[in-house]
Amino acid sequence: MKNISKLLACFFVLGIVGNSCSDLEDINDNPRDITQEQLEVDFQQVGSKYKPIFESIYQYTPAWSYQLQQNLNADVYSGYMTNPRPFVAGANNTTYNLVSGWNDFIWSVPYNNVMNNVKTISDLTENDFPTLYATALILKVEAMHRVSDVFGPIIYTSFGDLENVGEYDSQQEAYDAFFTDLDIAVENLMADIDSERFTAFDLSYGGNYRQWVKAANSLRLRLAIRISKVDPVKAKLEGEKALAQPLGLMVTNDDSFFVNSSLSHPLATIDNSWGDIRMNASMESILTGYNDARISSYFDESIDYAGEHKGIRNGLPLLPGYEDELAQKADYIGFSTLNESVKTPSVQLMTAAEVYFLKAEAALRGWTGAGDAQSNYEQGIITSFDQRGASGAATYIADNTSTPADYVDPVTPSNNIAALSNVTVAWNAGDTNEVKLEKIITQKWIAMFPEGQEAWSEFRRTGYPRIFPVVSNQSAGAIDTDIQIRRIPFVDSELSTNATGVANAVSLLGGPDNGGTRVWWDTGGPNF
Amino acid sequence: MKQNLRTLFLFSFLLLAVQFSFAQEKEISGIVTSQLDGSPIPGVNVLVKGTANGTLTDSGGNYSLTVNVGDVLSFSYLGMKTLEITVQDSNVINVQLEEDSQQLDAVIVTALGIKKSRKSLTYAAQDVDAEELSRIKQTNPVNSLSGKVSGLSITRSASGAGGSVKVVLRGNSSLGNNQPLYVIDGIPLLNPSGGQPSDTFGDINGGNRDGGDALSLLNPDDIESLTVLKGASASALYGSAGLNGVILITTKRGRSGGFKVDFSTNLTVDTAAYFMDFNGETEANIDDFYDSGLTNINSLTISGGNETAQTYFSYGNTNVTGILPTNTLTQHTFNVRETAQLFNDKLSISANILASTQKIKNRPVSGLYFNPLVGVYGFQSDTESLSDYRDFEAYDSARNIQAQRWFRATSDIEQNPYWILNRNASEDNNKKLVTSLNLKYQFNDWLSLQARGTYDKSILDFEKKIYATTEATLAPENGRYINTNQDFTQVFGDVIATLTPQINDDFTLSAIVGASTTRNRTELFTADSGTNGGLQFANVFSFQNFEGNPQVTFVQNSYRTQVYSLFSSATIGYKDQVYFDVTARNDWSSTLPKENNSFFYPSFGVTGILSELFDLGDGVSFAKIRTSYAEVGNGFGPDLIARNRSIIFGGGGISPTEPINPFPGTLPEPERQRSFEIGTEWRFNNGKYGFELGYYRTSTINQYFTVNVAAGAGTSGQANINSGDILNKGFEATVFANPIENDNFKWRTTVNFASNKNEILKLIDSSIEGVETLANFPISDPGVNTFGSFLVEGGAFGDIYAQVVARDENGLPIVDTTDGIAIQQQDNDDRVPALEKVGNANPDFTLGWNNSFTYKNFTLDFLIDGKFGGETVSMTEAIVEGLSNNSARETNNGTVNIVSPDGVPSTLTAQEYYSAVGGRNGFTGEYVYSATNVRLAEFALGYNFNLSDDSFFSSIKASLVGNNLFFFYKDAPHDPNISLSTGNALQGVDVLGLPSTRSLGLNINLTF
Repeated sequence: MKNISKLLACFFVLGIVGNSCSDLEDINDNPRDITQEQLEVDFQQVGSKYKPIFESIYQYTPAWSYQLQQNLNADVYSGYMTNPRPFVAGANNTTYNLVSGWNDFIWSVPYNNVMNNVKTISDLTENDFPTLYATALILKVEAMHRVSDVFGPIIYTSFGDLENVGEYDSQQEAYDAFFTDLDIAVENLMADIDSERFTAFDLSYGGNYRQWVKAANSLRLRLAIRISKVDPVKAKLEGEKALAQPLGLMVTNDDSFFVNSSLSHPLATIDNSWGDIRMNASMESILTGYNDARISSYFDESIDYAGEHKGIRNGLPLLPGYEDELAQKADYIGFSTLNESVKTPSVQLMTAAEVYFLKAEAALRGWTGAGDAQSNYEQGIITSFDQRGASGAATYIADNTSTPADYVDPVTPSNNIAALSNVTVAWNAGDTNEVKLEKIITQKWIAMFPEGQEAWSEFRRTGYPRIFPVVSNQSAGAIDTDIQIRRIPFVDSELSTNATGVANAVSLLGGPDNGGTRVWWDTGGPNF
Repeated sequence: MKQNLRTLFLFSFLLLAVQFSFAQEKEISGIVTSQLDGSPIPGVNVLVKGTANGTLTDSGGNYSLTVNVGDVLSFSYLGMKTLEITVQDSNVINVQLEEDSQQLDAVIVTALGIKKSRKSLTYAAQDVDAEELSRIKQTNPVNSLSGKVSGLSITRSASGAGGSVKVVLRGNSSLGNNQPLYVIDGIPLLNPSGGQPSDTFGDINGGNRDGGDALSLLNPDDIESLTVLKGASASALYGSAGLNGVILITTKRGRSGGFKVDFSTNLTVDTAAYFMDFNGETEANIDDFYDSGLTNINSLTISGGNETAQTYFSYGNTNVTGILPTNTLTQHTFNVRETAQLFNDKLSISANILASTQKIKNRPVSGLYFNPLVGVYGFQSDTESLSDYRDFEAYDSARNIQAQRWFRATSDIEQNPYWILNRNASEDNNKKLVTSLNLKYQFNDWLSLQARGTYDKSILDFEKKIYATTEATLAPENGRYINTNQDFTQVFGDVIATLTPQINDDFTLSAIVGASTTRNRTELFTADSGTNGGLQFANVFSFQNFEGNPQVTFVQNSYRTQVYSLFSSATIGYKDQVYFDVTARNDWSSTLPKENNSFFYPSFGVTGILSELFDLGDGVSFAKIRTSYAEVGNGFGPDLIARNRSIIFGGGGISPTEPINPFPGTLPEPERQRSFEIGTEWRFNNGKYGFELGYYRTSTINQYFTVNVAAGAGTSGQANINSGDILNKGFEATVFANPIENDNFKWRTTVNFASNKNEILKLIDSSIEGVETLANFPISDPGVNTFGSFLVEGGAFGDIYAQVVARDENGLPIVDTTDGIAIQQQDNDDRVPALEKVGNANPDFTLGWNNSFTYKNFTLDFLIDGKFGGETVSMTEAIVEGLSNNSARETNNGTVNIVSPDGVPSTLTAQEYYSAVGGRNGFTGEYVYSATNVRLAEFALGYNFNLSDDSFFSSIKASLVGNNLFFFYKDAPHDPNISLSTGNALQGVDVLGLPSTRSLGLNINLTF
């Protein structure tokens, strides 16, 4: 009946305006957008979904979104960088007055831009294109372990399951799932290792599946080391699996995991255009104290204090004597900017140097296949110097006198602080495992710059390097100044859309939902 | 301007020099038609005045009569205004009679152009004469409706000449569009919005700008009459487009018999009139900054024809120089209409072409980005004045470039105002084309068939050239180029059969059956080199100069929608005592999924003519009671069920997120509006005075909300769901009287009253797992500022939220002065974080009092327009006080009593206090004012020149006109009747909007 009426209506008006009575259904589609059918050419219905994944793990654009996803939390908490402008009159993330509106991006960027695309790819490839499925899984683990490291429990295994919308996994369950996903990925890739199916879509390894297996093994080792304190048995099992995999780990800098986009690095905009990020005082203390040659490829000399690399203390409030944020920023914007070489369009997610340091720690922990701790440690330094084009690695490795320097704030002397560590660079076989670990993690920290997310996680797990505490702690007692921030609370968008899920997640977390509660792998106990 | 006046006078003298005279007996003939639609009127009484010599027109409206030259012919017909014409040399006198809305039996144009006798209406409808729209001309003719129709609320745009207008009938109900449908001569007008601002901070992509609308492109002199159909009962036949009421515009058409030429010119001087109090130096800077504006509207119409074919032609032009330096508007409007009656008047044809162009330079913006007023109001210097920065640039040897200069470092919100006007300049170029054809065939006395079609196009172009050395947040080092093109097309066609079968003496039936198709196509093009993407070379504004990266915006979008409709209506009358009305319509809309794309909706109404049913006495000349119920469905916008991903320019691939779609597992249903109304209408003493009273209740359900959904749902964080229930109810009343009516002196007065109460009964259906439990739905998201408007359950559309100062039981602000000045914040309402409800942007009730006096040759018209209740926030004041010490009260040595958190009273200087509460993100709750205001909205003193019968001119009228002259009462520092947006957002707030103007000028009308 309906159709007859519609036909009648069509027929009735056809004569006047000559409209066709074509089906109404497709009229709405915007022909300037790309349809599913158009995407199928060159398999772009799968391939085009990788680019947003690659570019959102550490988000390229818009830069302000990255600023909230990572720069104004982990990049600062890691001691790498800090903001010259005391945003929100000094009451912000960096002073532990956690800004929930900002922190939503830590959650929403990977869920909206990574997880949904991984799901689309998975649905299309799991049965038919197992190697494409494998790369999606590796990217998913890389993106989501970072999210779990920030919050603890996350939505992982039930993502997209409309029967269990918003059900969180505990961090332990999530890590188990990461290892399982890496198992599947490696198995699928090994079964068709010479396939070039991924070449057109790969922003990291040009479609070379051997490199992807090395990346997966290295990632597994990183995750295994992460849980080495909380679950040593599982950690050893997974770590040794990574060390024993026939294609091995990242060895040279060419093996490192970078995303190579044509987009500009978000730090370039945040640092150059906005003047919103500068060198952190902890970086200044450690790099200048060790006379580290890499400093000039990380930071520029201060324009206000010629010939010096100048960092800013973490967690500056709106300091007394300043009328507003901008007045204070004016005095700190001339401190050291980030060097252009860390702001090229390539985003660093994992380096070969990091893997040597992981192996060094694995050796300390007695894992089979890890090799010798010292040689891994020293090879890590050499590989990092190589990566930065810095010379003098041999002298540096042998330096058994230099220690981190005291910090002086030329603008606000009350921020001055003595160096927190007296370890040197040189390996000493007679040192305790604890001192050895401090050296390993301190050097890994230097090498991983500017990837603050991993640096902050390892600082929480091990307590190294010894990062200066915040100047102003505005957490109202939730976060201890010396223990420093342990996590980010669950985000507003989850509280408003998934209150039940969050309530369960808080019970999985096992502590109050604030920045002082430790995540699962962060035991707070001794390192050995 | 000078040129125009000179031409006018020269022309006048030439024409005055020509005179004619004559006297003889002869046979004349002619045709009498309705001015409403040109159809012939049978049974018109044609009489030589003062004699018994007369006749009636035949079924074709024809008459013939023997008369003397110099006789006065009187044409009278029930429901029409009586027309008198002096016989001159022509043997053919064709006349058109105008409907007289005062008359009981007046005919009114209703939905689809169907004429009905006014008394049979079962719903509220109100007419406005053309003269009311053209007496005091405004660049957007719809602005002239304010205060003249009960229940119709007009908010003018703060964007100066050529700005769009916000019209709301019977309250806001929709999250989307609340504007009524405009119908010109029975055909829906495409009135697309070129975009409206929604953010108090401002749009970084060119500033908070008014994208314009189609109404400002109409020539007010083309309008013959205007009818407002207020509720869904009246407009149900227009379907979803008529959901928010309908404004029916009938345009002029050619008259048979001789040519008639009208010329009018209107020149007003506009001055910036209503803004906050500043200190002396700033006042001086502001006086120096604003110009005197000039608005000149000219219009020439020529009409004429014979019994078979008539022509109407008009040309209008408008030239405005705004009060904002460099702001100008130039507009041209052409309108040609051909009408013809063929085959013994059985076939009527009407063809129309309307074309307009409009060019606006530097259309004013509001908000903080690209707004010169930030610098004007915030300028502070002991040694310099703002005019020292008229030289806005200086040579920079480092770049070999002319660089911006300003008294302090520029910031994202503050630049040299003259730099913004000259080096961030914008230009809007808008065009409108409407062509339409209307054929009507009268088969016999009970059946006619009408077919209509229109092709309607609006093009809105915008260009902004942002030079190098503009503040870095707004443009990269080589500058920035924005160029957008919005092209809207609507093709509409309908076929309607009208049946008026004779049943018997007691019953009358009039029915229509019809079908229509509406196809819309929107082509959008946006090119913006962006804040990061950039230009290759400085200050070259072309696409080839764009950097090729994804930070550059280079986007085309194309949206199409199609609606097919079948509709029918019937009116049954019983003995002219009771009328029963029923309509039915079914739409098939492409904007809904195919499972739900067909929707049906009916309306019913009944009217009882009390004065026919009962004997109410001699004093009551007419009384009726009416009631109706209607339901209307709506099919949403084109992108509701979008399925495709967008592509990002410059190698950006596809969009990382999925398009926003219906929540997984749900199927969108059409939005529904249900309305009920009841009313009564009384006239006394042969229509000398009377009133109309009405009550309505409208609920809008099943709206489409875009909501956040749980990350685990597998979408990209957002989805659409059907939900909500928004209620509007209110009273409308019109009282009119003709207290004095004699040959020399006439006084006619009308009062329009309307109240509306809005309530959000339901917001989001939170029973769906994974959908955000939404305490509030932002209409104006505060972002990083502290003014917002939110829908909350139990609240109302237009509720204003602000950051509020905590006060003790005596109302003193609580301030902690131990470490600087820390104002304490009140936060009791947890439905909106950090902000408190401080008012509502909509008035409780409105009153318009319109008066018209005629004394001999003088006419005096004035309109007092009042809005009572409601609030408005001056973020302008907050920003000025946060940015500078330029407000009057910061520098008048006043003090403010405060109390410490422990309850110890003390004082702060006014400067300390207001600097602390001010700022864009300050305590906006301190800047809330009552929006109640009563103003002299219109004033016109006119003189009709006495002309000898043989003068070449048939009429000359000159008037002194004034617009927005003064406020009898106003609390707010700004004019609360203007708004930063004519959309839903930014109501009840002023954020550095251009001040509203007072206009005074002269209007001259010549007819010959």
